[in-house]
Amino acid sequence: MTDVTLYHWEPNANSGKPMLALFEKGVAFDSHYLDLLNFDQHRPDYLAVNPLGTIPAMTHGDKVLTESTAIMEYVDEAFDGPRLMPADPVDQWRTRWWMKFLDQWLAPSFSMIGWSVFVGPSVRQKDPAELEAAIDRIPMPERRVAWRKAIHGAFSAEEMTESQRRVALGIGYLEQALGQREWLASDEYGLADINGFNLAYAMPLSQPQLCNDELTPNIMRWLRAIYARPATRACWALGRTDLARRISLLESEPA
Amino acid sequence: MTGILYHGQPNGPSFTVLAAAFEKGVDLDLRAIDLVAGERHSTALPHAIEVDQSIEGEGPVLVVDGVAMTDSVFVACYLDEVGSGPAIRPADPYARWQMMAWCRYVIERVAPAAAALGNAAAPPPAVPAGIASADLAARWTEAVEGKVEESRLTDSRTKIVQAVEKIEAQLADGRDWLMGDFSIADLETHGWLAGMRAIVPDAFAAAPLTDAWEARLRARPAVVKALGLATIPEPEAIWAPGPEINRWG
Ligand SMILES: N[C@@H](CCC(=O)N[C@@H](CS)C(=O)NCC(=O)O)C(=O)O
Repeated sequence: MTDVTLYHWEPNANSGKPMLALFEKGVAFDSHYLDLLNFDQHRPDYLAVNPLGTIPAMTHGDKVLTESTAIMEYVDEAFDGPRLMPADPVDQWRTRWWMKFLDQWLAPSFSMIGWSVFVGPSVRQKDPAELEAAIDRIPMPERRVAWRKAIHGAFSAEEMTESQRRVALGIGYLEQALGQREWLASDEYGLADINGFNLAYAMPLSQPQLCNDELTPNIMRWLRAIYARPATRACWALGRTDLARRISLLESEPA
Repeated sequence: MTGILYHGQPNGPSFTVLAAAFEKGVDLDLRAIDLVAGERHSTALPHAIEVDQSIEGEGPVLVVDGVAMTDSVFVACYLDEVGSGPAIRPADPYARWQMMAWCRYVIERVAPAAAALGNAAAPPPAVPAGIASADLAARWTEAVEGKVEESRLTDSRTKIVQAVEKIEAQLADGRDWLMGDFSIADLETHGWLAGMRAIVPDAFAAAPLTDAWEARLRARPAVVKALGLATIPEPEAIWAPGPEINRWG
């Protein structure tokens, strides 16, 4: 019996953050899978939960929560289980700094690339009138623009170049931070690592020339260590598409 | 050890951190720097990744035991942990989630809009030397040359109107503060909106609850003390490039 329901897509990006936090805490939850590529997140039954029409959302009893990173902090505080926010106030600050940097600087660049090579092509073959109607149902103007660009392959060369620039730099910053300490924000595994893993687990596959055992040994060490955790295995088992299956590349030994 | 706080005029993120420090009674070595002249990029300040790549843009820097902390809401959370004054975050996990989600909205939607409008109204004179982040440097160039697209400014005005509507709705049940009890959300929201009264007056034309809330906030001793650090008559009219307008959605 649980009074927690998580509305999520694949264990990946924003959906994967609260999923993995719940698994690490050992909190049982009802999994409500939404197919992002089928626009499930814009249907009335989900808009009743999150009127913004973005994934994830969580309910705990009659409380409704959105914003993946803020949900993770709630999960850590509201339930028993291992502490995922470090105890030291400076480490707490660093945890939040990195989560914001990932959420608002690095992840959007990965998203733009991911939407242009995966999300757009995955839905493009649908009936154009049906797609237009689907886009019209999206509540947030910013998300309507993103979907239109993805479907029509309309990301400008300039914005793609900027995203690729940020991805390259961001990988460098992660490598630098993980060269200074074992985990991203403190000496213990925590929320910043859960956040970062959801963004970074497929980097050795999607950015092989930037992220590999030779160039970024600390990132590779960190990704493999997180992959080895039972909670990560259990979480990724909820994936239904090839997106989640990319994680198996972390089974490889260091070169 | 006493921390060193490098801060600008009490507006935007500098306002949040100064007022939070006073609310919590944290003793800091206050060092005023000219953010508009780009002093944050000088060699006098530390330049860890968290300073140079802070996506808040030109905000304050708190140095404690050699660690340089940026991003006002999270610095305020730190001050809440270490200070002895009354809490500036709710204790209940759900109320805390509400505060963090509210602050995320301000950081992600309101702050970029306010910074764009503020810089357009009072452009900085020159792009300072030594900016490590290329995207922050690009925002400086845009601000100095007044090149922000009109569509972005229009959208930014809409964001300010929506923010005031959201505050009115939040205060509609008669509460004094945005989260019920006074919190970081009040400081961060006011820090970014104070300068918008002059720039987007329509947003405040029929917002009596917001007016009363601001008056209450500005009467708090810690806020009076923070505003008292201004070296010019209208600190809310001083802007340097802030967070970027969301490029993905
Ligand atoms: N800031 C939100 C962002 C949520 C978000 O944008 N989620 C994406 C998936 S990772 C989404 O719902 N996209 C589908 C859409 O926009 O239609 C969070 O962290 O939860």
